Amino acid sequence: MTKERDILKWFNDEISSEEIKRLYPDEDFSVLEKSRFYTKQFSLPELDEEKALADFKARQKQNKPSKVVSLTFKTFFKVAAVLVVMLGLSYALFFNDASVSYSTEIAQTETFNLPDDSEVILNAKSELRFNKKTWASNRNLNLDGEAFFKVTQGKTFTVETSAGAVQVLGTEFNVKEREDYFEVTCYEGSVSVTHNTKKTILTPGKTFRVVKGEVMAVTEVIAKNPAWIIKESNFNNVPLWQVIDELEIQYGITILANAVDTSQLYTGSFTHNDRSIALQSVTIPLKLSYKIKGNTVEFYNYESH
Amino acid sequence: MSNLCEEKHFNAFYLSHVKAAHNFAFYKCGDQSKSYDLVQDAFAKIWENCSQIDYSKAKTYLFTTVNNLFLNVMRHQKVVFTYAKEAPYRDQTNLNPEYLLEEEEFKTKLQKVIANLSAEQREVFLLNRIEDKKYREIAVLLNISQKTVEKRMSAALKAIRSQLDGIKI
Repeated sequence: MTKERDILKWFNDEISSEEIKRLYPDEDFSVLEKSRFYTKQFSLPELDEEKALADFKARQKQNKPSKVVSLTFKTFFKVAAVLVVMLGLSYALFFNDASVSYSTEIAQTETFNLPDDSEVILNAKSELRFNKKTWASNRNLNLDGEAFFKVTQGKTFTVETSAGAVQVLGTEFNVKEREDYFEVTCYEGSVSVTHNTKKTILTPGKTFRVVKGEVMAVTEVIAKNPAWIIKESNFNNVPLWQVIDELEIQYGITILANAVDTSQLYTGSFTHNDRSIALQSVTIPLKLSYKIKGNTVEFYNYESH
Repeated sequence: MSNLCEEKHFNAFYLSHVKAAHNFAFYKCGDQSKSYDLVQDAFAKIWENCSQIDYSKAKTYLFTTVNNLFLNVMRHQKVVFTYAKEAPYRDQTNLNPEYLLEEEEFKTKLQKVIANLSAEQREVFLLNRIEDKKYREIAVLLNISQKTVEKRMSAALKAIRSQLDGIKI
């Protein structure tokens, strides 16, 4: 096969393109010519040699096998081990109480940072606990109530509540755990919620809500933050009893609602700054009215009076 | 006589060959980060065995090691090549849309044909095409005979011709 040999020679620059065409005038070489042309344009990976070398050294350091220690060091290690144990013990004794807790009373909110700079805003009548000592290796929190989290990137961040656990890596989300009510809304990143061993992944705007043990479908939210951060409480098809709980928490009042249907759903919001406006924004859309006696508010139906 | 166990010599050796080894790994696996890891691992092997490697043979050892690591780890992985951005057309005076479309089609098919070559054929073809290496040089680099290089090149060219000839020119 001299033709095959000649083509090989052509690719080895032993004969030119003109020559090969002259040798085989009837042969169509355009596919090979095009391939020669376009293969040259393949993009090659970029490489900074100096940087690669530095990276190589760094990798070598990491993988360095541990050196064998000779017997003469044995006594030294014994002493060292005793010292380590003593230090560890005294550390444990002196800094034993590493549990940190934040709590808010009625109508209060509190903003603070966790040791990793994650931000927490705690809504009224809520409590958050975590262990400062194990925080670096284990970002684990216990929440009773409602809080908004802006989590910095890092190890898994877990919020445990009596109704379920919420796990994230780094993101913004709100957790609300009240009596018979559990709600998690994701505002950024993604959030994994475990409720009754069932896992649900939330993407931004999505809400997971459990009311009296039942999972409810919730329409997507567009807001960047929960409304309570700007001193409002916002509800989207939420049973009235839950709205009443929230009113009680935000204003420190007792609401009597025996005369009304508290399972009806409420969509709307109320301010945290003005009690009568707040009461009106809840009652008017539901065709309810209310009477105030000191710290007690009674809800009743319009028509019945 | 240079000794690779001396950091100064090793660094010089590293800097003078890392780029070529990286490209070589890339021809084989078509993936930038994988070829980067392959090359770093190959250099690590040389560093570990520095006392046993003759400086004059170190380059061959490097390429052979990249080759072996590739075979061990990723021989069956999918290969993808891309063109450098805004690569010019072969006939830059012809801007007829039909021509441009045909050339685009040809380029895409060429990528696929080359990706589907065996790793051995592809490395020979790309060393020859991209780095303008002669068969003799490739044979030395890969520590194989020139005959073998030519066989692989021939097979690669045949594959390209047979799979791309159907396209109108």
